[in-house]
Amino acid sequence: MSTKAIPGRAGPKGPTFAVLASNEVGLLLITVGAVIVFSYLAPGFDSPFNIYALTRVLAIDVVIGFSMMVVLVTGGLNLAVGAIGVSAVMVGGWAMQVAGLPIIVSALLALAFGAALGALNGILTVAMRVHSFVVTLATMSLFFGAMIVLTQAEAFNALPAEFVSLAKLKTWFFASSMLYASIVVGLLLWWLFHHTLIGRQILAAGANPSAARLSGVPVERTIVVCHGLSGALAAFAGLMLTARNGAALPSMAGQLGMDWLLPAFLAPVLGGTLLTGGTLSVAGTFLGAAMVTVLSNGLLQLQVGEFWVQAFLGVILLVAVVLDRLRAHVMAKRRVR
Amino acid sequence: MSATMHLLRTDWFGLLVAFAVGAVALGLAQPSFLSTYNLYVMLTAFSLSILIALSQMVIVAIGQLNLSVGAIGGLAAITFAGVMEVWSVPIPVAILIGLLVGVAGGTLNGVVTHVTGLNAFVVTLATLAIFKGTNIGITEAQPFYEIPDAVKSFGNARFGFFPYLLFVSGAIGIAVWVFMRRSVLGRQLLAVGGNLNAAKLSGIPVGRVVVAAHVLSGMLAAVAGMLAVARLQLGQPTIGDDWLIISFAAPVIGGAVLAGGHVSVAGTVLGVAIIMLINNALVLLNVDPYAVQLVLGALILAAVALSRFREPA
Amino acid sequence: MTAKLVITGASKAFPGVQALDDVSLTLEAGSIHALLGENGAGKSTLIKIITGVHRPDSGTVLLDGEPMQFFGPHDALAHGISAVHQERNLIPRFSVAENIMLERLPTRAGLVDYGEVREAARRFMAPLGLEIDPDIPVRNLSVARMQLVEIAKALSLDARLLVLDEPTASITPHETETLFRLLRELRDKGVAILFVSHKLDEVFELCDSVTVLRDGRNACASRSLNGLDRSDVVRLMIGRDETAVRRTERTATGEPVLALRDVATDLGHRNIDLEVRAGEIVGLYGLVGAGRTELAKAVIGAAKVTSGEVQVGGRSARIDSVATALSRYRIGYVSEDRKHEGLILMHSVRRNVAVTVWRRIARALGWLPDRAERDAVTPYIERLQVRTPSLAQPVSLLSGGNQQKVSVAKWLAAQVRVLIVDEPTVGIDIQTKVYLHELIHELAASGTAILLISSDMPEMISLADRIVVMADFEVVGELDNTRDAADMSEAIMARIHKVAEVA
Repeated sequence: MSTKAIPGRAGPKGPTFAVLASNEVGLLLITVGAVIVFSYLAPGFDSPFNIYALTRVLAIDVVIGFSMMVVLVTGGLNLAVGAIGVSAVMVGGWAMQVAGLPIIVSALLALAFGAALGALNGILTVAMRVHSFVVTLATMSLFFGAMIVLTQAEAFNALPAEFVSLAKLKTWFFASSMLYASIVVGLLLWWLFHHTLIGRQILAAGANPSAARLSGVPVERTIVVCHGLSGALAAFAGLMLTARNGAALPSMAGQLGMDWLLPAFLAPVLGGTLLTGGTLSVAGTFLGAAMVTVLSNGLLQLQVGEFWVQAFLGVILLVAVVLDRLRAHVMAKRRVR
Repeated sequence: MSATMHLLRTDWFGLLVAFAVGAVALGLAQPSFLSTYNLYVMLTAFSLSILIALSQMVIVAIGQLNLSVGAIGGLAAITFAGVMEVWSVPIPVAILIGLLVGVAGGTLNGVVTHVTGLNAFVVTLATLAIFKGTNIGITEAQPFYEIPDAVKSFGNARFGFFPYLLFVSGAIGIAVWVFMRRSVLGRQLLAVGGNLNAAKLSGIPVGRVVVAAHVLSGMLAAVAGMLAVARLQLGQPTIGDDWLIISFAAPVIGGAVLAGGHVSVAGTVLGVAIIMLINNALVLLNVDPYAVQLVLGALILAAVALSRFREPA
Repeated sequence: MTAKLVITGASKAFPGVQALDDVSLTLEAGSIHALLGENGAGKSTLIKIITGVHRPDSGTVLLDGEPMQFFGPHDALAHGISAVHQERNLIPRFSVAENIMLERLPTRAGLVDYGEVREAARRFMAPLGLEIDPDIPVRNLSVARMQLVEIAKALSLDARLLVLDEPTASITPHETETLFRLLRELRDKGVAILFVSHKLDEVFELCDSVTVLRDGRNACASRSLNGLDRSDVVRLMIGRDETAVRRTERTATGEPVLALRDVATDLGHRNIDLEVRAGEIVGLYGLVGAGRTELAKAVIGAAKVTSGEVQVGGRSARIDSVATALSRYRIGYVSEDRKHEGLILMHSVRRNVAVTVWRRIARALGWLPDRAERDAVTPYIERLQVRTPSLAQPVSLLSGGNQQKVSVAKWLAAQVRVLIVDEPTVGIDIQTKVYLHELIHELAASGTAILLISSDMPEMISLADRIVVMADFEVVGELDNTRDAADMSEAIMARIHKVAEVA
């Protein structure tokens, strides 16, 4: 995105550091700039209610982005994030409303179910030795279809009040409490990927599976773990969305859960996570989601139609990936000299 | 190799047997399956789905994928309907404009993927959002109702159980079959998908071939969109929303290799036929219609597993 | 008469490497010109410039006296230049005939005329003695057949300039003879041929003149082969005399650490018997495609052993994954394919070396602090004298030699008992090569059992204590190393050829 503004002078930690840093700094600058511009142009933008609404959307989109990010790092992808998210919260909704289980147990059940569906994707990918694209395309249809058949497309809309109120908490600067939950998730992911054994193994396997395998890294296990993690994160995003909506809705992620795909890819791709696997940026994904949320919220405040905003996000994604390519090209040229 | 062995090894023979067995079984279980009207309804859906599946298939042939098939089809559909309603454009010109939308969408996909060398997945996800957003932005989610009678009656016309729409997609299907098997460009498409580097070194203009595949994909999606307008009798903005799964399911069931280089037109068409049959069976047997999604997902997995069994990686 | 092709002062750089530096070459029509050099010397890059794949950063290329401005391989083809590249360049699912004719498929009424495709292809297959059904998909062919199909494809273009990059790497001596007869005929018809081979005997048998590259520069440019002998050419290639370093004779009396008894694998190996003792260097020699790398992969659990027994330390071992090979049996494998299998190029030096010890140094809950990694890695980076600005440097930015040191370092860090080293010195500079030879020798001296896979005969003869010869996924002989280069290479080739002729 913004990296052209900051020429990649190789810092003491080498050029990779400079690239990542510039990517994140650039996102931050654009986001802050957009906040300032919208505050002037759209009177409602900086109202307490809008800040609250915006941070609530942001919290959810960040986790959706994480859910995709942890699979992108393996060099794969997960089309079923939405379908898993919805399926998991329908389990959670059933547990709370029908089975009458405590909120925390129900939430854990939903997370575990999401993780299980995700892990199934991982297992199928490994067992059939195909790209996760085709597996998750199939399971997207499978999970969503099964969910609709089992729920008869009925919502769970008599959830316990305490659960719904979780989403209504406001904290400092009118921000939604859910944003802090997302930040905590982000910090855990950062620690996982940069300071643990499995995190290193995942990054190695994602960057070069053959080399990793020949060095004793259990590549298949890392793929299953990542898909399972992706499912759990999708379930977490689904739970937050359910709390916000006050009901577990089968339609909350659109047909087949595909409404989540655009935010799921936008955040990590803008944030510098490569589709080829092996690198990721937790902070970048967070900032990518922040930029997208601020831009779309601001445009909506300016009375731009919702669907033009969708088209605009498509353009942003396209421009981002093209600029990213351009940057890689320029970096390569510079390296030669 | 004996003739039987040869048949067994083709992509289409097993599918044909599966389809025939399924059709006979369904006909015995539910005689209403063979009613003229039921067959007509099924063949109408079949006509559209063939084009949707072929639109994806030509991209799979070059080893890429296209998430924006439905979005292009939808945009072409509402453009086709819109120019007729708003500007009273004559039908042939409207068809041409609709096709142009497909060409433009495909060109955008092809040029961006080729020039940047980016994964077609992200590129077409982005263009999906752009096309779909533009579609709803223009229509404000309202259909165009004023479709000329000629288009409507074509959409409804049939010989017994044989819909006129099937003439169009049947002809296109045959044309694509000849194209992939016997035209130089079609062979180049498969060569690029089979071994990109070898294709390059053999002097095949890879960029042109990639863009051509995307343009062809866009045109097929556009035709599917316009036929959908004729069938629905209105320019529905949601046309194309539910195309994605079937667009992949049919070629994959038909033996296409997602890594590129191998697709089968006959297999793809039979893949569509099998999906339609299952769909119809679920309706006739009063199973929850949403179970179709479930079955489609399972079918894709089964097809991939089967292809692994036939050709271990 | 102007020469067919004149390259003057060509340079080409890629990220991290200067592949060609001021290289010149003159190729006359009606001659066969050898292009020699060690792997990584720049031969492939030069070929890719000639065939229009790359454009030089500077320098001129004249074709028939005209400046050559190619915008891709199709331009080169249009100018009568065709090539057999080292990597396989066939469309796997297309038939033999269609692959041969792919550049210009004959059409009738706009459609490809497959009858004509088949006829035309047969015309080019016959002179090579390639008697197979032209309708078979090439993916069903053996490697040797595929190579012949590629040669037929290149010949079919009626090129005036033909580039052959290691065309004989996987074909039999008999097929080689047929090919050479054909090439001489073409030469006599005025075709200019650029011939790349690491088999010097072939070069002397076939070629008229020679250009040698070393580290991306000309070691000699278009000299006549008359008056040069084998040792002259080798000196040009490696920049010094070819001396098999005389090592002190060692007798490894240790127990067999790794033993294969009548092993078969699902990659196609049969009846493999092999033994490596502690402190011994066993060489594994064979032609490309003989199944050596594949055998190594089966030993470390990356491919399946279907029958027979693998013994480690005298006891039967079940190695089902590389992780098991590493942690339970302490077997390591330095891959021949550094870029794809040996290293994670985008990751740092630190992580690349530490990958084998992560499990060992991880603390409770899988916590893996950077410091633990640094402490585990530093001694080996220092011991191997890896030249890197820091441990955080991505390996992709190191030179080939230093990359190879990193890929060896990780196995030293893992403290393996058995080390399989696959083509350890391919594509690296001469100092590093000498250094790595010393290192392998030292490792053996300190008790590590080493299985050395190499196609570099002098390397083999200088390092190995015993040489096991493989052909076609079987062991065809075993020889004690007498350290006499001429004798050994003759004895080894005799064993390989005997198998090839029977097949």
